[in-house]
Amino acid sequence: MLPSTFEYLKPPDLAGTLDVLNQLKDKKVEVLAGGTDLIPMLRSGIRKPDYVVDLADKGLDDLIFESDHVRIGALVTFTTLCEHPGIRRKLPAIAEAAIEVGAVQCRNLATIGGNVCNAVPSLDSGPPLLALGASFRLQSKGRERIVRSEDFFVGPRRTVLQPGEILTELIVPMEEQFRVNFLRFGRRKALTLPIVNGAVGLAIKGNREIVNARIALGAVAPTPIRAYKTEQLLQGRKVSLELLAQAASMAATDISPISDLRASAEYRRKLTTVLVGRALEHVLRRGADRS
Amino acid sequence: MKKNITLNVNGKLRALVVDAKDLLLDVIREKVGLTGTKEGCGTGECGACTVLLDGEAVNSCLCLAIAMEGKGIVTVEGLGDPSNLHPLQQAFIDNGAVQCGFCIPGLLISAGALLRKNPDPTEQEIREGIAGNICRCTGYLKIVQSIEKAAAVLQRATSR
Repeated sequence: MLPSTFEYLKPPDLAGTLDVLNQLKDKKVEVLAGGTDLIPMLRSGIRKPDYVVDLADKGLDDLIFESDHVRIGALVTFTTLCEHPGIRRKLPAIAEAAIEVGAVQCRNLATIGGNVCNAVPSLDSGPPLLALGASFRLQSKGRERIVRSEDFFVGPRRTVLQPGEILTELIVPMEEQFRVNFLRFGRRKALTLPIVNGAVGLAIKGNREIVNARIALGAVAPTPIRAYKTEQLLQGRKVSLELLAQAASMAATDISPISDLRASAEYRRKLTTVLVGRALEHVLRRGADRS
Repeated sequence: MKKNITLNVNGKLRALVVDAKDLLLDVIREKVGLTGTKEGCGTGECGACTVLLDGEAVNSCLCLAIAMEGKGIVTVEGLGDPSNLHPLQQAFIDNGAVQCGFCIPGLLISAGALLRKNPDPTEQEIREGIAGNICRCTGYLKIVQSIEKAAAVLQRATSR
C-alpha cells in the first residue's frame, strides 16, 4: 500500500485530460502512464501528489507509420516497441533500446513517453531518439508545440514540460540510407542501468563519403546529449579506419560524465571511446550487408 | 479516495471497494484473499508479485488498483489447483525446482506467459523470459529445466 492517498482522475478523453490538468496547474499533480517510475516514487514518498491523472485509454498508444516518419504515441509500451515488425525493420535502434528496459513485466507496463518525461540521464530511449532526429509533440489546453528531442531535456529528471502540459506523441523521421546503431554497456545482461549508452547514426554515399552523422550518448552528462564535435569530424569525410578511431576518441571529449556508484568518470570516458568505435564499425557493416 | 471497481480474477468477477493508495498486489492479497502472489522488493525488480494483466505478465506492485477497472487478472491460483496442476507446476515439483518457494508464484506466471507467446523456447529465451524474476535459493538451473520440460508436455498435449 502507498503511504498516502490522493485523488485519482481519469477523464474520458485527451481534451478532458488537458482541461483537468489546466484546472490543477497550481496543485501537486502527477500524470500516470505505465507507472513503473511513478509508483516507486509514490511508495518512497519522493512524490506526494494531491492528484494523479491517468493517461490510459485516450488513444495515446497508437503507432502510425507515415511515408517518411513514424508517430509513436506517448503511451506505447516498450514491449510493443521491441516486438513491432515495422519498428524492428525501419527503426531497429529503438527496438534494440526498448529490449534493454527492465524485464518483461516492466516492459509490458512501461511507456516510451513515461521514460522520456521521467528524464533520468541514463534513459535507454533517449540516445536513439536524439540520433534519429526525433521531435516531441507537447500539448496543454488550447496549445500545442513541437520540441526537438535534444531541446527537451534540461537536466536530471528535468524537461521543458510546463505545468498542465503533457507529451502526447513522439515523431521519428525515417531517412533512407541513415543507419543507426544502439550501444550500451551495463554490469549485467538484464535489469541493470547502463554505465554508458548511446546511438550512432551514419548516412554514407556510394563513394564512402559520410553525408550525415548523428551521435547521441547517455549516462555521461546531465541529460542525453548529441556528440556534436564527433559528428562534425565525420561529416563530409570519407570512411577510413583511421577516421573512425579518431571519432571514437573525440567522443570522449563530447561528454561530461560524473563518478557514481556504477562507474567513475574516467571509466565512462574510456568506455565511450570503445563503444562509439564498435558502434561505428557496426553501422558500416549493417550498411554494407544491406547494399 | 475510494472507488468501486470490478476485476475479473482467475475467471471470477469481483466487485471491490479500493482506495487510490491500494496497489493491485494489496487488493489481490488482502481483499480478494489470494495470497499466492508475493510482495518482494515493491519496486518492480524482483518479480515475486508477477500476475497476468489482460494476458501480459506485469508487476502487480507497480499497478494502482483503482486504475484496473474491468481488467482481467490471473494469479498463480488461476494457473492450476492441487487436484489439477498446470504442467509447469508439475514440472517444478518433479524437478525439485522449488526451495523456499517465495519466488515460485511469480516464476510460474512468467513462465506461463512465455510459453503462451513462444511454446518451444530455447534455453536462452527461457532465461530472458524469467529475467524479471529473482530466485535467491536455486541458482535457476532446475527452474529452467522445469520450464523446458513443461514446454515439451504442453507441446505433446496440443499435437495430440
